[in-house]
Amino acid sequence: MELIATHGLNFLYAFATLALVVLGLAVVFGLLGVMNMAHGEFVMIGAYSALAVQQAGLPFLFAIPAAIAVCVVIGWLVEWGLVRHLYKRPFDTLLATWGLAILMREVVEAIFGREYQSVDQVLPGTFSLAGVEYPAYRVVLMGIIAVLFGALFAWYQRSNAGARVKAMVQNPALAAAMGIDTERLARWTFVFGVTTAGLAGVLLSPLVRVEPFMGLDYLLSSFFILVVGGLGSLEGLIVGSGVIGGTDIFLSALFDKTSGYLGVLTISIVFLWLRPNGIVSRL
Amino acid sequence: MKRRDFVKASISATVVSVLTGGSFGARALAAGPVKVGVLIPLSGPAGLFGPSSRNCTQLAVDEINAAGGILGRQIEPIFADVGGPPADATQAALQLWKGDGAEAFIGMHDSAVRGALTNLFKGQVPYIYTPVYEGGECSAGTFVLGETPSQQLEPAIPWMASNKGASKWYLIGNDYNWPRDTNAAAKGYIAGTGGEVVGEEYLPFTVDNFDSNLAKIKDTGADAVLITLVGGASVGFNRAFASFGLADDVARLGTLIEENTLAGIGAENSVNLFSSAGYFASIDTPSARSFAEKYVAKFGADAAALNALGQSCYDGMLLLAVLAAKAGSLSAADMDAAADGTSYEGPRGGATMSDRHVSKDIYLAEADGAAFKVIATFADVGAGDNCA
Repeated sequence: MELIATHGLNFLYAFATLALVVLGLAVVFGLLGVMNMAHGEFVMIGAYSALAVQQAGLPFLFAIPAAIAVCVVIGWLVEWGLVRHLYKRPFDTLLATWGLAILMREVVEAIFGREYQSVDQVLPGTFSLAGVEYPAYRVVLMGIIAVLFGALFAWYQRSNAGARVKAMVQNPALAAAMGIDTERLARWTFVFGVTTAGLAGVLLSPLVRVEPFMGLDYLLSSFFILVVGGLGSLEGLIVGSGVIGGTDIFLSALFDKTSGYLGVLTISIVFLWLRPNGIVSRL
Repeated sequence: MKRRDFVKASISATVVSVLTGGSFGARALAAGPVKVGVLIPLSGPAGLFGPSSRNCTQLAVDEINAAGGILGRQIEPIFADVGGPPADATQAALQLWKGDGAEAFIGMHDSAVRGALTNLFKGQVPYIYTPVYEGGECSAGTFVLGETPSQQLEPAIPWMASNKGASKWYLIGNDYNWPRDTNAAAKGYIAGTGGEVVGEEYLPFTVDNFDSNLAKIKDTGADAVLITLVGGASVGFNRAFASFGLADDVARLGTLIEENTLAGIGAENSVNLFSSAGYFASIDTPSARSFAEKYVAKFGADAAALNALGQSCYDGMLLLAVLAAKAGSLSAADMDAAADGTSYEGPRGGATMSDRHVSKDIYLAEADGAAFKVIATFADVGAGDNCA
């Protein structure tokens, strides 16, 4: 029973963190049609923000504004200098953002070195949940993610800004004609997407390895989630995170870690082949 | 050569050697510094050990040079990063060897790189391999300092069984030959104590989620875990292990958990964590204390923490000096002939070479917060059969 509860909590944790990581990629792809190959690198930048804050001797919470500031600046510059020139040219965006990813890795490597580093633990100790001793920080993290998604969903449904974004996505020309500054809206949508990735990096940093190439793992898992869940909707993101996280946890528990990864790959391939629009398709 | 030319050549060579104060032949011609290629990881999962390796090498070089160098020549270390794949490491070593003229190599890196290097060197240049490793290296010109699984586990597993009641072992490591060979050896020693292996799993270097493994450790009722994860993976595993509340009930024994890894794991996660190695920064012997004092004096109190891997580079340089002195040359073949029985004294205590390996003291330490406390010393443990 306790074992099932542990696996259940592990699933919830994987599900929540995957959803958080994929959020920015889903927003940028779903709303702007840009496959941002540097998505994982923004997660990495968030993690390195936490590391830099720690090296400067400041408390962990300072990493959140630091990462937001860095991601907003870089995201703004990237949209202005690179991405906006390539809207409607998906393949070119793919190459350009892949190049950007390489550049970001190299810069971080030049500043922090290539070795694996670790961010000090936040909230060590356990928290009793469903009869299981579970790491306290993970419990808090799951809570933060739930609140974040709830707020985001409500904002997107109800606010004027959300309505403008929806208008831009459905008919950019008409939206512009109605006086919506679509260029500015697109820029801030991109900035928002990469900033959530940076935030994910900060929140995950005490639990994961921090190194310049860490972003690749997050890009890959995000990609699998979008393939399975379907591109461009919040529902797809949730379903995809559940399927990918669940497959991994279930097979890893039943057999071993390698089987879990193999299962994720197999499911992604099957979806690409038989159901390329994913489970929840907007198209 | 005509007889007269030979006489002339001999006379001029003698004059040259008298003038330069050297002896005859190659040594007189190569009287510059001895360039020693030092191959250490500055990137990747083992990059953690780069700074302390570099410092310890430098310390040994300074001391040997102050005492007259190797065969009367000063040592000039040339460092290269071998934290990447074997092909990159081979390129780096080739550049040092053929490009920069390195006459000997000291390597502190993984076994995949060692395999590529012994294949590159083919016994033509002396190569001292210093870190903990799986055993079995027997190539010409290669000398091994590191602890083998039998050295680390033969005394440590029975100690854990009788003092910590370890009987149900879960084995977890990164997926390459060192963890697999270590666990193969461990199974024999575990069976010898009447214990059993309840689980065995190997993970890629990049894994940082250990949820399913921790659930299995709980589920199998293991009372001891043998950890052969490396660097960052070990930090991640041990943190998660403690944060799931397993530390009090399940003892952990690592054969590559040194001071840097322990610092990453953190004091709050280090309860009931043991490590078996040939060196700890806290060994309380006069030679180890004086080594640690010299290290702090030279690099400051904030320098990379002393640890078994970094320190092994110091011993590597010492071994190179004594081997060269005993062989009377820097040729790998001469060293091969002279190696057996060579012994030296270092911070770890005495070490004696046989079959390209050394027998030496092994220490078992228990984590005490973020530092290790040596709780048992096993004297002069042999490296096992390596050249069978």
